Amino acid sequence: MKRNIFLYLMIVLASVVLLFLSVPLLNMIFGNDLMLLLDTLKQKDVVGSIYLTMKVSLWAMIFVLITGLPLAYIIARYNFFGRSFIEALIDIPIMIPHTAAGIALLMVFGRGAVSEAFESVGITFVDTEMGIMVAMMFLSSTFLINGAKEGFKKVDVKLEKVARTLGANPFQVFIRISIPNARKDIINGALMMWGRGLGEFGAVIMLAYHPMVAPVLIYDRFTSYGLSHSAPVAAIMIIISIFIFLSVRFVNNRLK
Amino acid sequence: MDIFEVENLSYKLGNFKLDNVNFKVNQGEYFVLLGQSGSGKTLLLESIAGFNSVEGKINFEGRDISELSPEHRDVGFVYQDFALFSNLNVRENIMFSGKYKHVENPEETLHDLADFLGLVPLLERDIDNLSGGERQRVAIARALFSKPKILLLDEPLSAIDPTFRNSIMKFLKDIHRKYNLTTIHVTHNFREASYLADRIAIVMNGQIKQIGPAAEVLNNPANIEVAKFLGFKNILPSSMINDIEDRLFSVDPNAIHVGKYKIDCDYVFGGTLEECMGIVDHYKIFVNVDGQQFFAKILKRDYQGCYADRGESIYIGFDKKDVCYL
Repeated sequence: MKRNIFLYLMIVLASVVLLFLSVPLLNMIFGNDLMLLLDTLKQKDVVGSIYLTMKVSLWAMIFVLITGLPLAYIIARYNFFGRSFIEALIDIPIMIPHTAAGIALLMVFGRGAVSEAFESVGITFVDTEMGIMVAMMFLSSTFLINGAKEGFKKVDVKLEKVARTLGANPFQVFIRISIPNARKDIINGALMMWGRGLGEFGAVIMLAYHPMVAPVLIYDRFTSYGLSHSAPVAAIMIIISIFIFLSVRFVNNRLK
Repeated sequence: MDIFEVENLSYKLGNFKLDNVNFKVNQGEYFVLLGQSGSGKTLLLESIAGFNSVEGKINFEGRDISELSPEHRDVGFVYQDFALFSNLNVRENIMFSGKYKHVENPEETLHDLADFLGLVPLLERDIDNLSGGERQRVAIARALFSKPKILLLDEPLSAIDPTFRNSIMKFLKDIHRKYNLTTIHVTHNFREASYLADRIAIVMNGQIKQIGPAAEVLNNPANIEVAKFLGFKNILPSSMINDIEDRLFSVDPNAIHVGKYKIDCDYVFGGTLEECMGIVDHYKIFVNVDGQQFFAKILKRDYQGCYADRGESIYIGFDKKDVCYL
């Protein structure tokens, strides 16, 4: 009986937070008129904005996959002076206000030496897709790097050692053994990063109000036309994100 | 002919040090590094494979390979937990080295190995669906597929159910013979070593304490440390058996005779029975002789009982041939 009371209490408390998380989402999805959603989907700026958001956050994720996986591997495999500092540095972006991060990025990529250096090779960040990508990357790469780090830690170093005796060099071992065996954590981390990137607003708006990513479009419509014009866009964004997330998670869990 | 030689090898890892290790392994030899957990034997094996930057030389067929990376050393490595690649199936695991090394007739080699190791029905199976014994065979097949010149085995029997250990020991010996391998096998189990080894090196605290043919090392430990590790009991001062040299001797508990009355042996002692413990098929008998404790084992099929009660007088005896001087 005592055990049951404990279990019921846990279920009641858990239900509170579950409802808190799910009601706004379900209300957004099912609270909108279906015809209105379909009409909204026909609007070019909405489709363009969602496509842009997906595309740029995907590019940001791919960039961090290429650069962040080696970083995650180094942290997972080697003990070196300054490792804790680097780990803290990776975590900091998710702790600071996003608008503050946006200001920091604007100071580096919007003006000054770094900005000029990129400009000399034709890359600018203010009001460009590149600016959106930088903002998304800065605030969401933590999820991918930390996910991959945990994944690499779970890969027994003996697997890598044996692969070396079988003729593979360190790079081949990394590609053929380390990454595939840490795959689940890497994909989950990448999904988290991508998802975080899709929703990034505070930093993006500082660097690139235009072209408008979906969160900026939702905000723009809300301030200019009110809730009725912004809610369908938000609902479509939520539905697409949930669909992609569930699909990738499903495939990931099915993978050997 | 020796093909492999470790010369003055040293390596420091934290507070532990492999200290000036020297040994040679002959072509086709089954060489066992025997030592307790933490003695440094796995570290030594990994150093041979090239995972650590060591001081000293590792000569292989007359060439110093100590600077070569693991992928260029031509060694096969089998870990205690087999370290199979779970992202690949059995066939892909075995043939892994084929992508990076030239293996002649890979398909034929695979089938020969799979046939001999009983892996033919398992080739397309996932690693996660294998038993301990199957995993071991896959790990061995994977190492052998790369045609290594030397096979390194790190406690390969530890993760195996004790029931199957004897058959797998025989199997290891069969593999060694069939593929004419030179094998270095690390273990803490001296029974395993006595069955498999042509020669044994005893590793303690990062040093080689004794090296020689298996029977010689196991029956004539070089010092008390090695003797204790090898399970020698009754390590006592040789003055007890009228030896003039100041040294120790040991006598196998199974070779000690016990009796209520004087026994006909080369050495006979009267003492007090301290303890008699009945274990499944034998008695463990502890006898105090002039302050020194003797331990004897008496099979229940030879005698039922403890000869005397605790605290009573008892006789023990053994022959010269059973004495081992340390």
